[in-house]
Order: sequence, then structure tokens, then C-alpha cells
Amino acid sequence: MLSFLVRRLNLLVITAFILSILAFAIDRTIMVHHQTQPALQQDYVLQYLSYLWHILSGDFGLSALDQQPLLQRGLTFFASTLELCLVALVFSCIIAIPLGLLAGLFRNTALDYGIMTIAIIGLALPVFWVGVMAVLLPSVWGDILPVDGNMSLVYDVPLVTGFLLIDTLFVTAQYGLFAFFDRVAHLILPASVLSFFLIAEIVRLTRHSMTMVMRSNYIQTAYAKGFSRTKIVFKHALNNALPPIIPQLRLQLSTILSFAMTIEIVFNLNGIGTWLFNSLKTGDYHALPAGMLIITGFILMFSIAIEIAMVIISPIRRGSLYANK
Amino acid sequence: MLINNGFNEDKIQSPLRYIWSIFKSKSIAVVAMWVILFLIFVSLFAAWLVPHSPLLQDPEKMLLPPYWVDGGSIDHVLGTDDLGRDTLSRLFHGVQYTLGGALLITLFVSIIGMTIGAGAALTKGIKASILHHLLDALLAIPSLLSALILITFFGPSYVNCLLAIALSLLPQFIRASYIAIEQELNKQYIIALQLDGAAKTRLFRYGILPNILEPTITILNRLFTMAIIEIATLGFLGFGAQLPQTELGSLIANNMELIYLSPWLVAFPGLTIFVIIIIVNVFAEGLRHAVIEGEE
Repeated sequence: MLSFLVRRLNLLVITAFILSILAFAIDRTIMVHHQTQPALQQDYVLQYLSYLWHILSGDFGLSALDQQPLLQRGLTFFASTLELCLVALVFSCIIAIPLGLLAGLFRNTALDYGIMTIAIIGLALPVFWVGVMAVLLPSVWGDILPVDGNMSLVYDVPLVTGFLLIDTLFVTAQYGLFAFFDRVAHLILPASVLSFFLIAEIVRLTRHSMTMVMRSNYIQTAYAKGFSRTKIVFKHALNNALPPIIPQLRLQLSTILSFAMTIEIVFNLNGIGTWLFNSLKTGDYHALPAGMLIITGFILMFSIAIEIAMVIISPIRRGSLYANK
Repeated sequence: MLINNGFNEDKIQSPLRYIWSIFKSKSIAVVAMWVILFLIFVSLFAAWLVPHSPLLQDPEKMLLPPYWVDGGSIDHVLGTDDLGRDTLSRLFHGVQYTLGGALLITLFVSIIGMTIGAGAALTKGIKASILHHLLDALLAIPSLLSALILITFFGPSYVNCLLAIALSLLPQFIRASYIAIEQELNKQYIIALQLDGAAKTRLFRYGILPNILEPTITILNRLFTMAIIEIATLGFLGFGAQLPQTELGSLIANNMELIYLSPWLVAFPGLTIFVIIIIVNVFAEGLRHAVIEGEE
């Protein structure tokens, strides 16, 4: 286990090194292109080392717009993006996994075709267009759901974790649960638009995984033993069909984040997408490398965490622990 | 595989021909294929097909609804926008920018990506390892973010937007084709070919390429879908096609403030994107099934 951990962390360090070089290159190119600061000494290696030292000590520089430290701003915005992604993920898992399992079990039937049609439609709808249409909906149906930013401005919620759903629970003494429900109401529309894509993706993955499992030899053996279909599905198939979905979904993480960023811009939510978009529009280009480092840093950490969790959950993955290549 | 051609001779079809004959029996996929051909025809010859110039303004006929709604005119089948420009003509030109751009990106990325992916899969040691780590790093950047970074450097324009999207989709394609080739490499007949003394290029052309048709179709389909969505998204955000160009995403963005006066102007471009993606997915799915049946 230890050697596995060391090997994974080693890969993490190399990838992080490449990313920091990329961020440095972006930073310097911006400096040269837009003349934001006078040119420093010409030795790029020394410049890179000092840049790396600043990053490691958490100093990403100041925003040119409001002189706020970029790291804190970025992390606050990124927390709200993550909140949106997580809510959408939970929501779409609840809907999509049963649908995918059904489609995999009843392959090539009318039910399967129906579910896959829904999945293809979800994949084909352009996210920002659905967002625009969803912004239009409340005005047609009356003011059911708000579409104005993260939450109503009447609530003054202090920043604790950055996740507004949790932060609003800290101010129950002041507002009761109203702040929390206000946040939930603001989150419903963006999260359901984001889950269009997620549902399509999860249904596809679950269906594929379930089909593969139902074709495998041990399921045939279980049939031969005379087990009932219900018992086979719930006892043998589900255990083996669900874990492979997680690493597949991890590969989609950067796509999910990029859709989430688009949705934020459409719904005018305070997330990292809106932050970067507004920074670029107003010429604060130093937000770009900071935002890139925050997003990619999160994706790297998350990938490693998922991989370690998979080794703990699924015995098949543990095989790589013992392999002596 | 054997067919009787009426002269009591058994003739063996080539695998591609066989797959084509299976594909022809799937009527929905064949319809989708014709629609795609029609859309490509439209995007090539949009300037000659449209009834009006997409930039021609008509102060007499502003904000017309589609002709089947009261007050519409048959002269403007899908209505007009706030300057009296014909929606149908603008959509045709939008298809030219969006679909044409996506096709170019797919072509460019698939050729370069397949070459690099095959190179990475067929070589071992330090070259493959460097490529692997580089890909890991590039894959961690969301494609929208890398497109934004590249556009910050090059400045917003339609060509730069295509370039940025191609570069941001390239790592995903390389990784996917690498995985497909890697899976094929472990099979017995590849080892037999290697023992026969086949060179790397021959191994790839005759051993691997005919057998990775099915995963390649899936990857290409995904690449194309993502390319269309990203072109439209960047156009929508104002980083892609600039104003006189009528890209579908930027059409939606420009008509956003008219959404209460005439929702058609926002609905039609979005529906066009939706229809293009659906049609391509149906076609690719049909082709994939034909390949699977042909291989069995």
C-alpha cells in the first residue's frame, strides 16, 4: 500500500510541476503582452523559482481590480462552483443510476431505447441555451424560482466555508432557516440545467457497465445454479457494476467543470467561471493563471483521492498493488 | 459473409463493404446520413442557397414571427429579427460557421491526435513517459478554460476560437485513441504479426487500424459533439465569431435582449444546434452498430 501511495504521489508531483510551468508561462506572456508590470531580471529559471516559491507560500498576487488577494477570491468563488457541481451530481445520480441499470438489464427493448433517447437528448442540448431558456421560464410561469445570482441580497451571510448551503446554517440565529431555503431556491434551476448533461453521461456509463457485468461468466454461473433474477441482480451484479462508473466519471470532471462555468455565466452566479469571465472582460489577466492553478489543483487532488478510494473499495483495482512489473 | 451473386459463384465481400451493407439496412441511420450530407451541402453553399442576404436589413418587416404564426409572411419563412434580417438566411450562415468549423476541427484533431496517440502507444520508454505526463497535466485543464487562455493570447476571432478549441480537445482525443490502440496491442494476433517481423507502421496500418473502427467512431462522435458545443459556447460568450459573422452561439447571445419580444430568435439557433448534434449521434450510433455486427 505504501509503495502504491508513493508512486501515485510521485506522479502527482510531476503533473503539478508541469502545470506550474504552464501557469508561469501564462503569467509571463501576459506580462509581456499587456505590460502590466515592468520587466524583471531576464533569467527565466530564477524567475520561475521565485514564482514557484510565491505559489507554494500561497501568494498568487493581487487582483488589479480591487486589490484583493487572488487566491482567497478564487477559492471562495470555486467553492460556490463546487457546491453547484455537487448538488447537480447528487441530483443526477439519484435519477440516472436506476435508469442506467434498467437500460442495461433490459437491453435492446423498448425501455432501453426510450432511456437511451433521453440520454442522447440530454447530451445534445447545448447547456448555455438550456440555461437561457430556463432563465426565461420563471417569467412565463410566474415567480416560482429566482434566477438572480447566488442568493437574495437581504441576507448577510458571513464567509465561513465558502459553501453557502453550509454557511447559511450558521446564521439560523439571525434569519432562521429562511436564508438556507433562499439558497436552495437559487440553486435549483442551475443545478437541474447542469444535471441534463450529467444524467446523459451517467446513464450511458451505468448501462455499459451493467451490460458488461450481465454478460460475464459468473452471472451465467449464477443463472446455472438456479438463482432468481432478482437475487442475481441485487447480490451479484450491482456490486460489480457500480464501482467502475466512478473512475469513468472522474475522467469527465473537467468537462463537468467547464459546463458548470458556462452555466454560472448564464445564470449570473458568483462562481469561478463568472469571476474569470469578468476578469478577462475588464483586463485583469492575472486572474487567469491563479484560476487555472486552483481548478487544476483541485482536479489533481480529487483524481488521486478517487484512485486511492477505488483501491480501498474495489478488490479488482487492488491487483495493481501486488503486481511486480 | 458469403453472398450468392446468381452465377453460382461464392464471392467474399470486403469487410468495409459488408459493414456498409449492414448499415444500409438501418433506415434511421441512413436518413440521418442524408440529413448530414444535406447540412454539409448547406454549409458549403449557404451563400447561394439563402433567399435573402443574412445582413440585408428591412425596416418594413421587423420582428416578424415565423410564417405559420399570425402576422408572419411567407417571404421570411422563419421570421425576421429587430433589424428586419431574415432568420432562415442567418441560420444557414450560422450552420456554415458552426458545422463547418466543427468538421474542420474534427478532421484536424483526428489526424494529428491519431498520429500522436499511435506514436505514444507503439513506442515505449522515455518518449511515451514524457508524453504521458504532459497529457495528464493538459487533461486536468477544463477545455473551456484552456480555450479562454489561448484566446487571451491570440485575441478573440473566429479562426482563433477554432484553433483554441482544437488545441483544447487534442489531449482528450490523444488519450482516447491511445487507450484504444493499447487495448488492441495486447491481443494475440498483434503478437503474431510482431513475430512475423512487421514494422511499426505496417503493424499499425494492417494490424491495428482495421480493428479499432468501433472505438474510433465513438471517439470521433464525442469529439464532434464537443467541438460544436464549444464553438457555440465561445460564440455565446463573445470570444468566438465577431459581430458581422452569424455563428449560432453568437446569434443566441445577440438576440438575448429580444427574448420577450420574439422568443423565436433565441429558440431557432438553439434548436439548430440540438438537431445537428442529435442527427450526428444517430448516424454514429447506427454506424457503430453496423461495425459491431459486421465484426461478429
